[in-house]
This record gives sequence, C-alpha cells and structure tokens, in this order.
Amino acid sequence: MDNQRGYTLEELLVSNLARELKDEEVGFIGLGTGGRTFVLAVGVPTVASRLAQLTHAPDFVPMLGPIVDPDLSHIPESYTDHELLSWPCRAQISVMDCLDYWQRGAINIGFVSGAQVDMYGNVNTVAIGDYENPKVRLVGPIAQTNHMAFADRVFIFQEHEKRSFVEKVDFISGTGFLGGSDDREKAGLRGNGPYKVFTNLAILDFCPDTKRMRLASVHPGVTIEQVQENTGFELIIPDHVPVTPEPSEDELMLIREIDPKGLLLEAKIK
Amino acid sequence: MLKKRSKVVSLEQAISNIKDGSSVAIGGHTFRRHPMALVYEIIRQKKKGLKLLGWNNANDMDILVGTGCAESIETSYVGMSMFGLANHFRKAVENGRIKVNEHSETTAIDMFRAGSLGLDFMPTKASLGSDIIRTNPRIKEIECPFTQQKYAAVKAADVDVAIIHAHFSDEYGNIGLDRNRLMENEMDALIAKSAKKVIVSVEQIVNEEFVKNNAHLTFVPGIYVHSVVEAPYGAHPTACDSRYDYDLNHLEEYHNATKESNSFIEYLNKYVYGAKDHYDYLDKIGLQNLKKIKRPEVIVYG
Repeated sequence: MDNQRGYTLEELLVSNLARELKDEEVGFIGLGTGGRTFVLAVGVPTVASRLAQLTHAPDFVPMLGPIVDPDLSHIPESYTDHELLSWPCRAQISVMDCLDYWQRGAINIGFVSGAQVDMYGNVNTVAIGDYENPKVRLVGPIAQTNHMAFADRVFIFQEHEKRSFVEKVDFISGTGFLGGSDDREKAGLRGNGPYKVFTNLAILDFCPDTKRMRLASVHPGVTIEQVQENTGFELIIPDHVPVTPEPSEDELMLIREIDPKGLLLEAKIK
Repeated sequence: MLKKRSKVVSLEQAISNIKDGSSVAIGGHTFRRHPMALVYEIIRQKKKGLKLLGWNNANDMDILVGTGCAESIETSYVGMSMFGLANHFRKAVENGRIKVNEHSETTAIDMFRAGSLGLDFMPTKASLGSDIIRTNPRIKEIECPFTQQKYAAVKAADVDVAIIHAHFSDEYGNIGLDRNRLMENEMDALIAKSAKKVIVSVEQIVNEEFVKNNAHLTFVPGIYVHSVVEAPYGAHPTACDSRYDYDLNHLEEYHNATKESNSFIEYLNKYVYGAKDHYDYLDKIGLQNLKKIKRPEVIVYG
C-alpha cells in the first residue's frame, strides 16, 4: 500500500491520531520497549503530538515519561539517559510524580498497546493462557494500568490479528470496560477508559451503551470482511463504515520534517 | 574526641548480612541504575529463597531467578526492553518455580510509599476492576470512610534489605546523586526508607567535606543506611544516569546467553562466579568497553 498510495501505514495513523488531540490537553507517552511496539505506542503518538502542535493545537502538552513538554522540534538520536537528560523540556519530574499526575486527573490522553485486547477494550500484558499455569509469561502490567484507569481518553495501538483481538483477555492488566455497560464505573474508576483502537487495518471505537468494540473506519484498500476475519470476536459493524481519511499533502510534509530519519516511525532510535 | 563509625565495607561483607529467605528490594528501573555489583555478589554467595521486590525490573531480577536465588517476585515489569521477554523469569513463571505478585507501577510504588511512611497501607484507585487486585494478596478493595467510594488498599512492603546504587557517599553513608540525574531517584529513596537494612553501592566514596558542602545532593541521609560499598561502574551493564549509558552490547550478550542453560552457565562462569570481586568483573568487561559507555563531560568529585 505504501508505494501505491504515497504514504505509509504509520503516516496514516499519525495524521488520524493528530486530528484527535486537542489544544491544552496533556498526553502521556511511555519510553519503554523496542521494535514494532515502540513504533506503535511511542513513535506514532510522539509524531502525532508534534503534528497536532503544528496544525491546530500549539498548547498540546506531551509527557515522554517524566519529561514534561519536551521540544519536539528536535528528536534525540537515542533514548539513553544522557540524551533524555539533555533533551530541552519544561520539567523533568520523578516517576512517582508522573503516576500521581495520572491519579490526580492531570493527564488527559493515554497511549497503550498489549499482547491482547478484547471486545470490551480490556488489555493484557501479563500472561497468555491460564494465569496460574501460563502458556507464555509476558512482562507485567507496567504503567498501562494507570493509563487505562485514569485517562479521559485511551488510544490502543495493536496489530490486527485474531490472536491479539480476543473475546476475553486472559488477564486484565489494563482495565477497559470489563464486561461492558456500566461495569467500569461500578468498579470505581474515574477515567473514561478506552476511546479508540488504531490497527494496521482499521480504526475502531466502542458503542456508547454496551461498550462493545465497533468498527469506526477501514483503512484505504481494506475491506470490512478482512477486518472481521482478523478479529477473534464479532465486531459491531454499523450500516455505513467510512474509509479512514488519508493524510493530506501538508500533513505528510510535516510528518517527514518531524521524523526525517525514521527514528520514531521506523524504530531507528537506540 | 570520639570517632564516628565508618559504614564502608567490602562487597563481600555487605552481602554476607543478607540471610536466606529475606525480602530484598532492588533499586533502579528497566535498564537504569540497578545495583548490579550487589546483585552479582548475592549470586556468588548463593543466597536462597529471596523474596524480591521492586517497581520496574529487568536483568537484575532475571539473573537472580536464573541462578536460583529468588523464590518470589513483586514488581510491575520484568523484561529486557528492546530485546524482548526476560528468559529466566518467563520460564520460571511458566514452570511454576516462582510466585509473582502483579503490580501496576502505582501499586508497586505505593507498597514502598506506605513502608517509607511507616503506615500499614496506601489507598489508590489504580488496579480497581483489574485482575491485579483479584490475584495479588497485597491489594484489597476498601471503602472511603468519607465518600464511600471504592479504593484499593496496598499493604506496605515489608523489606528486610534494600539494595540501591548511587553516585557517591561519604564514609558515613550519606548517599548523594549528581545534579544531572534521571527520574526514578525518588523511588530509590522510598525503597531505602521502607527497609530495615539499607545496603548502597556507590560510584565513589567522597570525603566528608564534599558532602557537607553539597548537602542538597544527599538524597538518602546516613540515618537510613547500614553499609556502603565503593563499586565504580557498579550498575553495569545498566545505565547510571549521565555518568555512563547502558551497555547494550553486554545486555544483548546476557539476553542471548539466557536462551539456553549451557550458554548461561558459560556466562556466569565468565562474569559472575569467575570474577572473584567487582574489580575482577570490570577487568573482564574491559576498559575499552567501559570507555565506550562513559560520558566524558561528567564532573568527578574529589
């Protein structure tokens, strides 16, 4: 799709995510992991934050972990301690502070990715299979629990595959809508939970009443059937499903200026 | 005049105070400032049954699991960042050899926060509704006496020994960090303050006058600290703020070695059992490799 259409999947995701970010909102981006997860959960949100600042939201405040409002006109060549410490920003706070900002409700947007996401937007980064006797032990809940508990809106980034889009996650480490409807509110959580799911095939959201995952748009060249085939549960499919809007020429030009070396969108960072 | 007691001890002496079966909290996070020299000495002394606690961990906990020192783990993350899953941790959990108590970063930090405050628990909203609260006996749902809202109560960590790594200390255990430092330091202070005993390795022991004249850099005062070990590059292969970066080549070597038991034994025989002390370990890593990760612009204190 890349060569034919003149933009990459990552650029499509960036432009659509940027349009969602509002002026004066605060978005929290993690610093961890590598490879594909890095591109989806760190690279795409970081470039989208800068694009939003340049197009419509000059006061959108990104937090790269505990680095508050870094100068995104310059992306460091690596995420080593020294580079992070030298990155011009408005505050270097402690991790404890970051987590307190979350709980206080000071952070609006969370960006997460997991090994599994289910039909109610619950996320799993702990174990595949029976928890007491797991088939694959994963890394643990990390700060995802916080993103998903406290953010006004959580964006989930995920490769669209049957094994990662499951009816019920094997372990809820990031709380979505639990079993749907008002389960989340009843559990005592303040944030609004998952808002949209961005994949390589589509953008999905959640039905306002049942909280079931719903197809919001399919990427150019992708069919509804393809999306359903790669989903391990029945998606809610509205009568009319639009095509995900493509990035404009201006957006593409800006994205390539923001990340000219592919440090973020091609995981070339060290 | 009576002389103050020095807290500086050898690596071997410091770790000999850890009893089998102790709960041991480890400072640092992901690939940053784990007290690796202290960890390797725990392995050399073949400690058993340790209950490991932390808030975000990597090769530090993985190697303690792989060498049979650990019985249980409580943290929010054990992984090898860009290299993938932590092999020993993964296998040990899949085979049921170690018990894990799951935490979000908030609840992991809150167990130390409660411990450092001398309180029984900390209230939080994090983990409500999740399988973390369902499976971890340290976290229980409670009701706020004022608003009747649901909260998670995180029981204070009961830490026998905290091990952390810092930039410098005087001989009396006043632990300091360079001004140019990164984010998780406050967590190391909480981990230290929640423990019955605190063992600190530092890049360098400095003279008392330096600490007196730079007291704003002391982040764990000596009243909390039991012993101090001088261990330059003591966090290697993890990073030490801006003094040196992580040694990615070595972390990858470790990660690859943990894929099979033969290669892991070779790794241990070379770098851990085969090194009689920390300086011997540094010799094996080699000055050239250490120079590669060192940041030349760092001020070295006298």
